[in-house]
Amino acid sequence: MSSLETIQRKLGISVSFVEMGGVHWLALDASKVRELAQAMNEIYARFITITAYQLPKDEGFRLEYHWDLNGQLLGFSFQLAGKSIESIFDLTEAADWIEREIHEEYGIDFTGREYEPLLLRQGETMGVNLREAVATSQEKI
Amino acid sequence: MSYKIPMGPYHPALEEPYKLDMICEGETVLDAKLHIGFNFRGIEHLAETRNHIQAIALMERVCGICSFIHTLTFCRAMEGLTDQTPPPRAQYIRVIMAELERLHSHVLWAGIAAKLMGFKTMFMTCFEIREKVMDILAAISGNRVNYSMNRIGGVNRDITDPQSILSMVEKLEGEMARTVIPIFTTSRTARSRCAGIGVLTKEQAISCAVVGPVARASGVGQDLRKDAPYAAYPEMEFDVPVVPDGDVRARLLVRALEIMESCKILRQALAKLPPGEFHTGDDKFNFITGISTARVEAPRGEVMYSVSWKEGSRNPARVHVRTPTFAVMPAIRWMVKGARLADTPLIQASIDPCYSCTDR
Repeated sequence: MSSLETIQRKLGISVSFVEMGGVHWLALDASKVRELAQAMNEIYARFITITAYQLPKDEGFRLEYHWDLNGQLLGFSFQLAGKSIESIFDLTEAADWIEREIHEEYGIDFTGREYEPLLLRQGETMGVNLREAVATSQEKI
Repeated sequence: MSYKIPMGPYHPALEEPYKLDMICEGETVLDAKLHIGFNFRGIEHLAETRNHIQAIALMERVCGICSFIHTLTFCRAMEGLTDQTPPPRAQYIRVIMAELERLHSHVLWAGIAAKLMGFKTMFMTCFEIREKVMDILAAISGNRVNYSMNRIGGVNRDITDPQSILSMVEKLEGEMARTVIPIFTTSRTARSRCAGIGVLTKEQAISCAVVGPVARASGVGQDLRKDAPYAAYPEMEFDVPVVPDGDVRARLLVRALEIMESCKILRQALAKLPPGEFHTGDDKFNFITGISTARVEAPRGEVMYSVSWKEGSRNPARVHVRTPTFAVMPAIRWMVKGARLADTPLIQASIDPCYSCTDR
């Protein structure tokens, strides 16, 4: 069984990975994020990063999680209807800083964890979507 | 009784601004908390306001040492969105520049480490050698820091006389083999200051997902040049040094051995530099809608760029940069736990941190 099939089995899904530009992609429901982190730990995949995308109009956000498995780049895409998703920090220590950064810049809440400022020094801007705040307000952020 | 010692954001023992709050008991560090963000420039957001040519120049400024690596990774990501494949000569020139940058970075780091060890003459030697590496970089690109070498579909400048560059590299290799390498691998001073301090175990390295020489010095043998080879790396023969000890000395050894491996790669690439074009010749591109991801092994470890583009747009919709120090820095907390306060500047320096990259 290939490592990609192992991941599918661990997540209990039948959808297959799609290879695009050297990345093996899998779109998952946001409720699967902790199961995914657990599965990645079990196969000794290395966490790389999370990338946040703000979708047009009121479509919310998309988060892409990346892991490396022996040189293979794995990408997992999560569409968020709202502004929150469960944190994987307690399962994947390496996700700490990037969760904090995304929380600061996009206002996305990674539930089940506490935050401290990371990149931005002013505590009062924590958890604000800076794009919208900058675009709609003349006030100093 | 424990007390808190704040180090930074501006401190003589730190080359760049960041802050480490250490909880100490006597001379021993019990715990530490890191604070970054003092160099935050919003580069990812700025990239969304630049066209593809301007964005390359912007990305070159993410890091002052790995400027080539950042544009290489960014261009590789954009080549995925424009269906461009650089010609073989460009792939070789990219390898040559990337390895020269690794030499420059590692020798610079060795100098700073020597200074922190109290080995000032070694610091002078390293910086003298580094200057020679920069001479080679300037001979190829015309620039010492921001080389402006990468473009979508290749490189901007050719290497017209590889033999002269090769002789410069051979001279440099001889000098490093005579001075830097023996001192860092066998010197008693280096051993007494570095052995057994700032240990990051293999388990901690895996848990923190550290990359580059820090991972390899903790026994984690990962290197994208081997694991997911790009440019002309599949055609190069080299070893990836891995040391299991996880202390500052192991990081010193890994980088010293990597200097020699880089010279080995440079000799091969310069000797085998294929003829032909060094870029595709295109300067107008049709970007397709989508996301392209590229990874490169920088001197400090894996750099990853995700670039999102909408067809017809002049600017990228999103650029995300994951730099190696962003992955490695949180591990400092584990390295300084239990260390003597006086060792913490050297422990921090041993990861070869780049705060400019980390904050972006």
